[in-house]
Amino acid sequence: MTEAYTGKDMIVATQVNKIYANGCHALKNVSATISRGEVVVIIGPSGSGKSTFLRALNQLEQINNGQIIIDGINMYAPGTNINKLRERVGMVFQSFNLFPHKTVKGNVMLAPIKVAKREPKKAEQDAEQLLRRVGLGDKLDVYPAQLSGGQQQRVAIARALAMNPDVMLFDEPTSALDPEMVGEVLDVMKSLANDGMTMVVVTHEMGFAREVADRVLFMEDGELLVSDTPDNIFSSTKHPRLEQFLSKLL
Amino acid sequence: MLTSPRRWLWHGLSVLIIAGLMGTLYIASKQINYSWQWARVLPYIVNTAPLDLRASGNGTITEVTPDAITLTLDSGDKPQVFKSYDQAVAAQGDLIFEGDVVARTVQWRAGPLLHGLWVTLKISVISLFFATLLGLAAGLMRISSNPACQNLAFAYVGLIRGTPLLVQIFIMYFFVGTMLNLDRFSAGVMALSIFTGAYIAEIVRSGIQSISPGQMEAARSLGMSYPKAMTHVILPQAFKRTLPPMAGQLINLIKDSSLVSVIAITDLTKAGREAISGNFATFEVWITVAGLYLILTTLLSWVVRRIEKRLAASD
Repeated sequence: MTEAYTGKDMIVATQVNKIYANGCHALKNVSATISRGEVVVIIGPSGSGKSTFLRALNQLEQINNGQIIIDGINMYAPGTNINKLRERVGMVFQSFNLFPHKTVKGNVMLAPIKVAKREPKKAEQDAEQLLRRVGLGDKLDVYPAQLSGGQQQRVAIARALAMNPDVMLFDEPTSALDPEMVGEVLDVMKSLANDGMTMVVVTHEMGFAREVADRVLFMEDGELLVSDTPDNIFSSTKHPRLEQFLSKLL
Repeated sequence: MLTSPRRWLWHGLSVLIIAGLMGTLYIASKQINYSWQWARVLPYIVNTAPLDLRASGNGTITEVTPDAITLTLDSGDKPQVFKSYDQAVAAQGDLIFEGDVVARTVQWRAGPLLHGLWVTLKISVISLFFATLLGLAAGLMRISSNPACQNLAFAYVGLIRGTPLLVQIFIMYFFVGTMLNLDRFSAGVMALSIFTGAYIAEIVRSGIQSISPGQMEAARSLGMSYPKAMTHVILPQAFKRTLPPMAGQLINLIKDSSLVSVIAITDLTKAGREAISGNFATFEVWITVAGLYLILTTLLSWVVRRIEKRLAASD
């Protein structure tokens, strides 16, 4: 990959397989292509491999075989700097994983200063701006432990955005939240989608999928079974296992 | 929760028990006709004995004023002047021979026990520094994915924790020290550092492993390399969590340093033994030595508690 890649495919995963050390075959020949600016929601029962697939997209899980290409860069090619690649792939976790020893602002500034080598002054301004954008302009100097779950997750989104990623991965971002806080996090994600961010979201929030997603992927038992628009998925699916899954949700 | 008047009753009882124990010890010591002479310990802590000022050659005292005594030397060299003395021994016109006491000054100097305390402090602080470095390295090697690192760290910790410190000090001084031509102090520092480092390695390992794996994942997902994630995310949190066991280990280090007295380093313990051979106040000196160790260790726990309080800001 010598010249800059400008194609429309942001993520190309081909025949991805993941087998855990205990023999569990978590991903079975999963192939998916996600375009620049597309919002893709992955749904499926628990244990279906959704999170494993998402985590494989920034190599938090090593895959056993297959190929993953992010923005034209082959993740497993020799010479690929995974740290450089991860700078461009933001990730938001179910359990927030904020750094408890840093203030809210410190959480957002850390990677830009230590990894992207930005000027601390500039990084601080950027952090304040990002935190205002997620509605936390008044919590800059408090520690994560003093925030509610929804506020923590919004900080986590701002922290991931601070590296100016090209893709954002969300791993069940609202599953650990009290119901009344789900909305505030989804609102931030919606505005991000409206700004044209490429997003891959693993979630159980079918409302979000229906409203925001350009495409919905349905996974079960390590296989990617359906890839279709939300309308087709939620109103006129003919796939028996998807029908079964959706019927349980209602 | 007890009501407060009854709480005071129990506090009073504990004081009473301690006083009773001490009284029993005192009576027991009387039974063996031990005569307590605490005053004999004092010169070994603070030396108030007057310091003799002696003549550097043969001569005659030519002038005695309250400020200075002048000794004119027979050799014709510059006269020797004793300034700021407290007590004149020689008088005007006295014939003086080399080495005679001309005057005395009264002053407070640190006694052997305080010198010993200083050596103990010095050896503990230097060992602490190297032990922390060693422990951090070995602890990180224990959790690394490289089998060579794991094995080496495992062997180090196993070997050191499985053998007595006293034997390690002898090996370090008589065997390693002879080969590398180490002086006593360096050998003592090395033995203590290597010994304490093994325990710190385990503390570091468990501290790092107690941090949720999500922290490492979050740091790595932001593009941090493993070393960067360690220094900026994992270790600062692990440090806070390991402070209490670390404090215990450092207090142990101070106490263990008493063992280096066996290779004739004049630390607090050896100074105590030397003091006893001078004043025969065995009980008093050992109690004093214990008290001095207690001051050091209490000071350390206080400092650590302060640091803990400061780090608690993010809780």
